[in-house]
Amino acid sequence: MTDFSSARSVSASGMQAQAQRLRHLSENISNADTPGYRRKLISFQTAMGQGNQISPVQVGRVRLDQSDLSTIYDPSHPMADETGEYKGSNVNLLIELADAREAQRSYEANLKMFDQARNMSSSLMQLLRR
Amino acid sequence: MFENLTVFQTSAAMARHAGQTQALISQNVANADTPGYVGHEMPPFAALYSPDETAGNQRATRAGHLNGSASAQEMASVEMRGSENPNENTISLEAEMLKAADAKSNHDRALAIYKSALDVLRTAVSTR
Repeated sequence: MTDFSSARSVSASGMQAQAQRLRHLSENISNADTPGYRRKLISFQTAMGQGNQISPVQVGRVRLDQSDLSTIYDPSHPMADETGEYKGSNVNLLIELADAREAQRSYEANLKMFDQARNMSSSLMQLLRR
Repeated sequence: MFENLTVFQTSAAMARHAGQTQALISQNVANADTPGYVGHEMPPFAALYSPDETAGNQRATRAGHLNGSASAQEMASVEMRGSENPNENTISLEAEMLKAADAKSNHDRALAIYKSALDVLRTAVSTR
Protein backbone atom coordinates (compact mmCIF):
# COMPACT_ATOMS: atom_id res chain seq x y z
CA MET A 1 0.00 0.00 0.00
CA THR A 2 1.18 3.48 -0.71
CA ASP A 3 1.62 6.01 2.06
CA PHE A 4 -1.44 8.03 1.12
CA SER A 5 -3.82 5.12 0.96
CA SER A 6 -2.54 3.79 4.28
CA ALA A 7 -2.87 7.30 5.76
CA ARG A 8 -6.48 7.42 4.58
CA SER A 9 -7.29 3.96 5.90
CA VAL A 10 -5.77 4.67 9.30
CA SER A 11 -7.77 7.93 9.52
CA ALA A 12 -10.90 6.02 8.55
CA SER A 13 -10.23 3.48 11.30
CA GLY A 14 -9.87 6.35 13.77
CA MET A 15 -13.18 7.87 12.68
CA GLN A 16 -14.88 4.49 12.92
CA ALA A 17 -13.57 3.99 16.45
CA GLN A 18 -14.71 7.45 17.55
CA ALA A 19 -18.14 6.91 15.99
CA GLN A 20 -18.53 3.65 17.89
CA ARG A 21 -17.50 5.41 21.09
CA LEU A 22 -20.13 8.07 20.43
CA ARG A 23 -22.74 5.36 19.86
CA HIS A 24 -22.05 3.77 23.25
CA LEU A 25 -22.10 7.20 24.87
CA SER A 26 -25.54 7.93 23.47
CA GLU A 27 -26.72 4.52 24.69
CA ASN A 28 -25.53 5.51 28.15
CA ILE A 29 -27.20 8.91 28.01
CA SER A 30 -30.52 7.56 26.80
CA ASN A 31 -30.50 4.94 29.57
CA ALA A 32 -29.56 7.40 32.29
CA ASP A 33 -32.97 6.93 33.97
CA THR A 34 -33.28 3.17 33.45
CA PRO A 35 -33.25 1.39 36.86
CA GLY A 36 -30.32 -0.99 37.25
CA TYR A 37 -28.52 0.15 34.08
CA ARG A 38 -24.72 0.02 34.21
CA ARG A 39 -22.88 2.34 31.87
CA LYS A 40 -20.92 0.79 29.02
CA LEU A 41 -17.22 1.45 28.70
CA ILE A 42 -15.08 0.86 25.63
CA SER A 43 -11.35 1.21 25.27
CA PHE A 44 -9.22 1.72 22.19
CA GLN A 45 -6.27 -0.40 21.23
CA THR A 46 -3.73 -0.32 18.44
CA ALA A 47 -3.98 -3.12 15.90
CA MET A 48 -0.54 -4.56 15.40
CA GLY A 49 1.00 -4.10 11.98
CA GLN A 50 4.08 -5.88 10.77
CA GLY A 51 7.38 -4.09 11.13
CA ASN A 52 7.28 -0.51 9.98
CA GLN A 53 3.69 -0.61 8.76
CA ILE A 54 1.04 1.89 9.72
CA SER A 55 -1.13 0.35 12.42
CA PRO A 56 -4.81 1.35 12.67
CA VAL A 57 -6.83 1.80 15.82
CA GLN A 58 -9.59 -0.59 16.85
CA VAL A 59 -12.18 -0.74 19.57
CA GLY A 60 -11.72 -3.26 22.34
CA ARG A 61 -14.38 -5.25 24.16
CA VAL A 62 -17.35 -3.46 25.72
CA ARG A 63 -17.23 -3.60 29.52
CA LEU A 64 -19.81 -2.60 32.08
CA ASP A 65 -18.95 -0.07 34.73
CA GLN A 66 -19.00 -1.99 38.03
CA SER A 67 -19.23 1.06 40.28
CA ASP A 68 -22.19 1.31 42.67
CA LEU A 69 -25.63 2.11 41.30
CA SER A 70 -27.22 5.25 42.61
CA THR A 71 -30.04 4.82 45.13
CA ILE A 72 -33.10 6.98 44.57
CA TYR A 73 -35.68 7.63 47.26
CA ASP A 74 -39.21 7.32 45.86
CA PRO A 75 -41.66 5.25 47.92
CA SER A 76 -44.32 5.41 45.19
CA HIS A 77 -42.04 3.74 42.64
CA PRO A 78 -43.07 0.14 41.83
CA MET A 79 -39.51 -1.11 42.29
CA ALA A 80 -39.00 0.61 45.66
CA ASP A 81 -38.06 -1.69 48.57
CA GLU A 82 -39.30 -1.40 52.16
CA THR A 83 -37.08 1.63 52.85
CA GLY A 84 -38.66 3.43 49.88
CA GLU A 85 -35.50 3.35 47.76
CA TYR A 86 -34.68 1.75 44.43
CA LYS A 87 -31.51 1.35 42.40
CA GLY A 88 -31.09 3.72 39.49
CA SER A 89 -28.31 3.69 36.88
CA ASN A 90 -24.69 4.65 37.45
CA VAL A 91 -24.60 7.05 34.52
CA ASN A 92 -23.17 10.48 35.26
CA LEU A 93 -24.50 12.79 32.54
CA LEU A 94 -21.69 15.30 32.99
CA ILE A 95 -19.02 12.65 32.33
CA GLU A 96 -20.89 11.29 29.32
CA LEU A 97 -21.27 14.73 27.78
CA ALA A 98 -17.62 15.61 28.30
CA ASP A 99 -16.64 12.28 26.76
CA ALA A 100 -18.95 12.90 23.80
CA ARG A 101 -17.35 16.27 23.23
CA GLU A 102 -13.90 14.69 23.27
CA ALA A 103 -15.03 12.02 20.80
CA GLN A 104 -16.33 14.74 18.50
CA ARG A 105 -13.06 16.64 18.60
CA SER A 106 -11.03 13.51 17.90
CA TYR A 107 -13.35 12.65 15.02
CA GLU A 108 -12.79 16.10 13.54
CA ALA A 109 -9.02 15.74 13.88
CA ASN A 110 -9.16 12.42 12.02
CA LEU A 111 -11.37 13.95 9.35
CA LYS A 112 -8.88 16.77 8.87
CA MET A 113 -6.03 14.30 8.47
CA PHE A 114 -8.09 12.31 5.94
CA ASP A 115 -8.81 15.46 3.99
CA GLN A 116 -5.18 16.49 3.98
CA ALA A 117 -3.96 13.08 2.77
CA ARG A 118 -6.52 13.30 -0.02
CA ASN A 119 -5.40 16.81 -0.96
CA MET A 120 -1.77 15.75 -1.03
CA SER A 121 -2.42 12.77 -3.28
CA SER A 122 -4.60 14.80 -5.62
CA SER A 123 -1.91 17.48 -5.93
CA LEU A 124 0.46 14.65 -6.80
CA MET A 125 -1.92 13.61 -9.53
CA GLN A 126 -2.00 17.19 -10.80
CA LEU A 127 1.60 16.67 -11.93
CA LEU A 128 0.37 14.33 -14.63
CA ARG A 129 -1.72 17.09 -16.13
CA ARG A 130 -0.26 19.59 -18.46
CA MET B 1 16.38 8.52 -17.80
CA PHE B 2 15.05 11.68 -16.23
CA GLU B 3 14.84 10.25 -12.75
CA ASN B 4 18.61 10.11 -12.74
CA LEU B 5 18.76 13.89 -12.66
CA THR B 6 19.52 14.92 -9.10
CA VAL B 7 16.83 17.57 -8.92
CA PHE B 8 14.14 15.00 -9.75
CA GLN B 9 15.67 12.46 -7.41
CA THR B 10 15.86 14.89 -4.52
CA SER B 11 12.40 16.37 -4.96
CA ALA B 12 10.87 12.91 -5.36
CA ALA B 13 12.61 11.77 -2.17
CA MET B 14 11.32 14.88 -0.39
CA ALA B 15 7.76 14.25 -1.58
CA ARG B 16 8.03 10.61 -0.51
CA HIS B 17 9.32 11.68 2.88
CA ALA B 18 6.40 14.09 3.29
CA GLY B 19 3.99 11.29 2.36
CA GLN B 20 5.47 8.96 4.96
CA THR B 21 5.31 11.74 7.52
CA GLN B 22 1.65 12.32 6.71
CA ALA B 23 0.88 8.60 7.11
CA LEU B 24 2.60 8.55 10.50
CA ILE B 25 0.77 11.68 11.65
CA SER B 26 -2.53 10.08 10.59
CA GLN B 27 -1.63 7.05 12.69
CA ASN B 28 -0.78 9.24 15.68
CA VAL B 29 -4.02 11.21 15.40
CA ALA B 30 -6.10 8.03 15.01
CA ASN B 31 -4.47 6.65 18.16
CA ALA B 32 -4.72 9.89 20.13
CA ASP B 33 -7.18 8.30 22.59
CA THR B 34 -5.53 4.86 22.82
CA PRO B 35 -4.14 4.23 26.30
CA GLY B 36 -0.44 3.39 26.35
CA TYR B 37 0.18 4.34 22.71
CA VAL B 38 3.65 5.69 21.94
CA GLY B 39 3.73 8.10 19.01
CA HIS B 40 6.07 7.82 16.05
CA GLU B 41 7.64 10.52 13.94
CA MET B 42 9.98 10.76 10.98
CA PRO B 43 13.41 12.33 11.34
CA PRO B 44 13.57 15.59 9.34
CA PHE B 45 14.33 15.33 5.65
CA ALA B 46 17.50 17.40 6.02
CA ALA B 47 18.94 14.65 8.21
CA LEU B 48 19.21 12.52 5.06
CA TYR B 49 21.82 14.81 3.60
CA SER B 50 23.66 16.06 6.65
CA PRO B 51 27.28 14.90 6.74
CA ASP B 52 27.12 13.72 10.35
CA GLU B 53 24.36 11.17 10.61
CA THR B 54 22.32 10.90 13.75
CA ALA B 55 24.10 8.74 16.25
CA GLY B 56 23.80 5.02 15.70
CA ASN B 57 22.61 5.21 12.11
CA GLN B 58 24.99 4.09 9.42
CA ARG B 59 25.09 6.16 6.30
CA ALA B 60 24.19 4.44 3.06
CA THR B 61 26.07 5.93 0.15
CA ARG B 62 25.44 3.26 -2.47
CA ALA B 63 22.39 1.29 -3.53
CA GLY B 64 24.13 -1.94 -2.53
CA HIS B 65 24.53 -0.90 1.08
CA LEU B 66 22.71 -2.77 3.78
CA ASN B 67 20.34 -0.04 4.96
CA GLY B 68 19.01 1.05 1.61
CA SER B 69 20.09 3.24 -1.24
CA ALA B 70 21.64 6.67 -1.05
CA SER B 71 18.29 8.35 -1.57
CA ALA B 72 16.83 6.34 1.34
CA GLN B 73 13.67 4.82 -0.09
CA GLU B 74 12.32 4.05 3.37
CA MET B 75 13.35 6.02 6.40
CA ALA B 76 12.81 4.44 9.76
CA SER B 77 10.47 6.22 12.13
CA VAL B 78 11.50 6.98 15.69
CA GLU B 79 9.39 6.83 18.82
CA MET B 80 8.43 10.00 20.66
CA ARG B 81 9.02 9.38 24.35
CA GLY B 82 8.41 11.75 27.22
CA SER B 83 5.46 14.03 27.98
CA GLU B 84 3.05 11.19 28.67
CA ASN B 85 -0.58 11.87 29.44
CA PRO B 86 -2.06 10.21 32.55
CA ASN B 87 -3.08 7.22 30.41
CA GLU B 88 0.53 6.85 29.15
CA ASN B 89 -0.35 8.17 25.69
CA THR B 90 2.31 10.46 24.25
CA ILE B 91 0.23 12.22 21.56
CA SER B 92 -0.48 15.93 21.69
CA LEU B 93 -3.08 16.77 19.05
CA GLU B 94 -1.84 20.35 18.73
CA ALA B 95 1.71 19.23 17.99
CA GLU B 96 0.41 16.74 15.45
CA MET B 97 -1.58 19.46 13.66
CA LEU B 98 1.55 21.58 13.49
CA LYS B 99 3.53 18.71 12.03
CA ALA B 100 0.74 17.98 9.56
CA ALA B 101 0.85 21.56 8.27
CA ASP B 102 4.61 21.19 7.94
CA ALA B 103 4.27 17.95 6.02
CA LYS B 104 1.75 19.52 3.66
CA SER B 105 3.95 22.51 2.91
CA ASN B 106 6.98 20.27 2.42
CA HIS B 107 5.03 18.11 0.02
CA ASP B 108 3.79 21.13 -1.90
CA ARG B 109 7.30 22.51 -2.09
CA ALA B 110 8.72 19.23 -3.38
CA LEU B 111 5.99 19.00 -6.02
CA ALA B 112 6.58 22.59 -7.07
CA ILE B 113 10.30 21.94 -7.51
CA TYR B 114 9.56 18.78 -9.48
CA LYS B 115 7.07 20.57 -11.69
CA SER B 116 9.33 23.50 -12.42
CA ALA B 117 12.21 21.17 -13.32
CA LEU B 118 9.80 19.28 -15.55
CA ASP B 119 8.81 22.55 -17.24
CA VAL B 120 12.46 23.38 -17.89
CA LEU B 121 12.97 19.99 -19.51
CA ARG B 122 9.81 20.39 -21.54
CA THR B 123 10.92 23.79 -22.78
CA ALA B 124 14.28 22.33 -23.75
CA VAL B 125 12.83 19.50 -25.83
CA SER B 126 9.86 21.28 -27.31
CA THR B 127 10.12 22.30 -30.92
CA ARG B 128 7.96 25.37 -30.65
